[in-house]
Amino acid sequence: MTTASSDIIRGTADMLILKLLEIEPMHGWGLGQAMQRLSRDALRIQPGALYAALHRLTREGWIDSEWRVTENGQRARYYRLTIAGRRRLVAETKAWKRLAGGVALILSTR
Amino acid sequence: MWRWLHDLVFRARAVFDRDTADRELNEELQFHRSMDVVKLRERGLSASQAEWEAGRHFGTLALEAERAREGWGVSMLAELLSDARHALRQLQRRPGFSAIVLVALGLGIGASVSLVSVVDSLMLRRLPYGNASRVHVFWMDDKWSTEEYDFVRERLGVLDQIAAYSTDAAPYAPSPDATGATVLPFVLSTPTLFDVLGVHPALGRMFDANDDRVGASPVIVISDPVWRQDFGGAPSIIGRQIALDGEMVTVIGVMPPGFFFPTPEIRAWRPLRVDPANTMYKVRYLTLVARATPGVSPALVHRDVQRLAKQLGIRFTYSDAEDKTKGAHAIPIRTYLLGDVRTPLLLLLGAVALLFLIACANAAALILARTTDRAGEMAVRAALGAGAGRLARQILAESLVLALCAAIVGSALASAGFRVLVMRLPLHHGFGSTVAIGWTSFATAFALALIIALIVSIVPVRHLLRGGRELGVNRERSEEGGHHGVRRVHDAIIAAQVTLAVLLVVGATLLIRTVEQIRDIDPGFDARGVTTYNLVPPSGMPEASQRQFFRDALARVAALPRVKRAGMTNRLPLRDLGYELPVLVEDRPDLAGVRRPNSLYRTATPGFLAAMGMRLAAGRDIDSTDAGGSPVVLINESFARRMWPGHSAIGERITEHWGPDPVTRTVVGVVRETHMTALTAESPFTMWIPLEQAPVQQGGVLVVRSAAPEAVVMPLIRREIAALNGQVAVSRVQTMDEVESTALAAPLRLRFFFSAFAALALLLGAIGVYGAVSYAVARRRAEFAVRMALGASPGVVLREVLVVGITPVAFGVAAGSVAALGASRLVSGILYGVRPTDLVSFSVAALALLIAGAAAAFLPALRAGHTNPVEALRGVVN
Repeated sequence: MTTASSDIIRGTADMLILKLLEIEPMHGWGLGQAMQRLSRDALRIQPGALYAALHRLTREGWIDSEWRVTENGQRARYYRLTIAGRRRLVAETKAWKRLAGGVALILSTR
Repeated sequence: MWRWLHDLVFRARAVFDRDTADRELNEELQFHRSMDVVKLRERGLSASQAEWEAGRHFGTLALEAERAREGWGVSMLAELLSDARHALRQLQRRPGFSAIVLVALGLGIGASVSLVSVVDSLMLRRLPYGNASRVHVFWMDDKWSTEEYDFVRERLGVLDQIAAYSTDAAPYAPSPDATGATVLPFVLSTPTLFDVLGVHPALGRMFDANDDRVGASPVIVISDPVWRQDFGGAPSIIGRQIALDGEMVTVIGVMPPGFFFPTPEIRAWRPLRVDPANTMYKVRYLTLVARATPGVSPALVHRDVQRLAKQLGIRFTYSDAEDKTKGAHAIPIRTYLLGDVRTPLLLLLGAVALLFLIACANAAALILARTTDRAGEMAVRAALGAGAGRLARQILAESLVLALCAAIVGSALASAGFRVLVMRLPLHHGFGSTVAIGWTSFATAFALALIIALIVSIVPVRHLLRGGRELGVNRERSEEGGHHGVRRVHDAIIAAQVTLAVLLVVGATLLIRTVEQIRDIDPGFDARGVTTYNLVPPSGMPEASQRQFFRDALARVAALPRVKRAGMTNRLPLRDLGYELPVLVEDRPDLAGVRRPNSLYRTATPGFLAAMGMRLAAGRDIDSTDAGGSPVVLINESFARRMWPGHSAIGERITEHWGPDPVTRTVVGVVRETHMTALTAESPFTMWIPLEQAPVQQGGVLVVRSAAPEAVVMPLIRREIAALNGQVAVSRVQTMDEVESTALAAPLRLRFFFSAFAALALLLGAIGVYGAVSYAVARRRAEFAVRMALGASPGVVLREVLVVGITPVAFGVAAGSVAALGASRLVSGILYGVRPTDLVSFSVAALALLIAGAAAAFLPALRAGHTNPVEALRGVVN
């Protein structure tokens, strides 16, 4: 069921979801699409993992959700970032940048 | 803090609002998929292609939902609830199986909980005395005089306080205008009693040294139940006067609830007057109870008591029959009060524990069979991704649900049947009323349930983790390999169960045989149709009117329709002890002085022997001519035989000194041996004096033989006595059958429990065997079919299955017999006429279990023998 090289490292998905929701509130499908589009198809998240992550983040209190009607007139659950989630995103981004910087340094060593 | 709270609220909502959560998740996923389809169609796919493609990417909706849900992490509680719900459904699907396990476990829990409550109340809980651990009772109950008490009191060593008491009862009326007298059993004691015990009244005060002085106004301390029942619990009770024994007595105190001394039957305490001038000063009828100095060991108390005994021997002269210098000891108060309850209770507790384990083994076997039966289901679930952990949890959940239901059943049984059970326990003197079943008992029930669930799950879970899963998938092919494992476990469980059952059945047979042996004893009287009544006149009633009252009462009762005979005595055989004194036998100078033999002193009226169904071995009965005639006496056979060996005792003379002056009496009759003190003990020497010749009124127990049922006779006689004299109390109305059963008490009552437990153990064992053999047969049906198709006869198959079923039973019987040999020592104390290693009992137990096992194995074996090869091979199996 997994597509090659596109599954997101666990844990990173949470951060990416928070980041996407910082841009604007959206529903699950929209999140999946946005992730694929913004990463230029490099990242793809399976629905199961996606909704599990959304559930987890809701439980942590970083996001919350409400049912709204889409432009096509369908009912969908929209997620948005909470204040706690915003704080969390800042912290995670900082940590990620340090990590990515470290990894990049090592990889670029000759 | 806030996050934690948020988390909790969220989890709680997820758990309790799971349906909504599920619905919303499904809707969300549906939406997701429909969006996928829309997108695919935009790329130009046809509707059906888009659907197919979306499905391919999406996976099945259910699986995605499952994956998403796993992320919910609410797990623990929610999954437990869902497991529990699933378990409940599983149990409902198999009502027969569930009912058997529920009843078995419920009974096990109920019985355990009830007995644990009783044991806790009587043996573990503190006695209601502040000094409970330091209080000791002197040897020889009811055999100390006030004079000896004073003597000992002046010589206390490591004992720092001592009291003397005696029990008594008198008619009383809570208020002057109350109709009909009731009897108040009370203790007469020295004022030191409360100090010895270390107790304080809840209201008012205790009596003190001033209350026992000559001429002090009479006072009484009442128990909490009397205060509540007779006086409505009013605090104004202190200082109130109540009519007791014909005089007005002032209530000075109320004891706290739960206090009793020496038994819960006693309802009040009065001061005993210690007056050297009184004739009662030298009469030995008291019991001594003392308190040791804190920190003194029981061994030291024992030595000190022996020192006191030596000093007593110097000061007083004792007859051989009542020598206080020999065997002196002090008994800790708990042992004294409850010692005889201990052994039977512990035995019962042991029996209950066995039953409980059998029920557990039974449940484990049934659940194991169910689990392996469901191996297919489990395998499918495993293939769909359920981990072994999840399956194990499912088993645990089922066991837990089952055990908790059983705990509820058990608690209900225990609370409903507790009184009945307590009534059947060998408890006496109202101790049954002090035991109660409380919330701790129910807590015990649920703790037991948890233990059961764990025990019961261990085997199936281990089995599951050890490859029970493959078993389900390839079961068509690997019949033998996997099932050998299950069968071994099954066999082990059954053998264990049978081992435990043998212990119970041996115990039950030993007790049944003991009771038979005791029942075979001829008590010397005929209890059928005999009712007895204690008549207690107020002690203020003049001697002459008392005598007249008893004459009138006898005459009126004897004249009642359907009353065959009526008589009177002072003490009832088997029930009332005491009234023993030395007698002088004429022409036996070797038995004079301190060597005089003791004899029970009993009174009788002309109708007494006939009413009791006692028979004469020689001579004549007491008759009406004795009223004003020369002093005569009846003696029992052993008395006659031992004193006048080789010739008749009729016409011989003995001198008794019960009254103020010695009286020499002529033996006119010898009574056939009657058990006076215990069914299993030889009777002491006994003499019966005509009531009319007794120095003081010594009646008290009316004995009536009637053709009418006791329920008719008893109220009739109560009415008759009340009509004759409203001041006389009628108490302890009992049938002679009851008296006899009480004398049998411990073995009889234990037999009841052991028989019930043994029957249950047999039943559970049979169910276990039946289940296991049915299971084995069902599994091997195809094999049997093939063999029968190839020419094996049904007989061969039947025999083989029987052997398979019986083998573990035989092992269990062997192991159980060995265990019972080791354990039988424990019951030896309550056996009579049967050795603890009694061959008959052991054989009966072994046979009973083998037969039960064979019977249980026979039905499924028969089914195996009748396997229709074609059907079985066609795969109708499973």
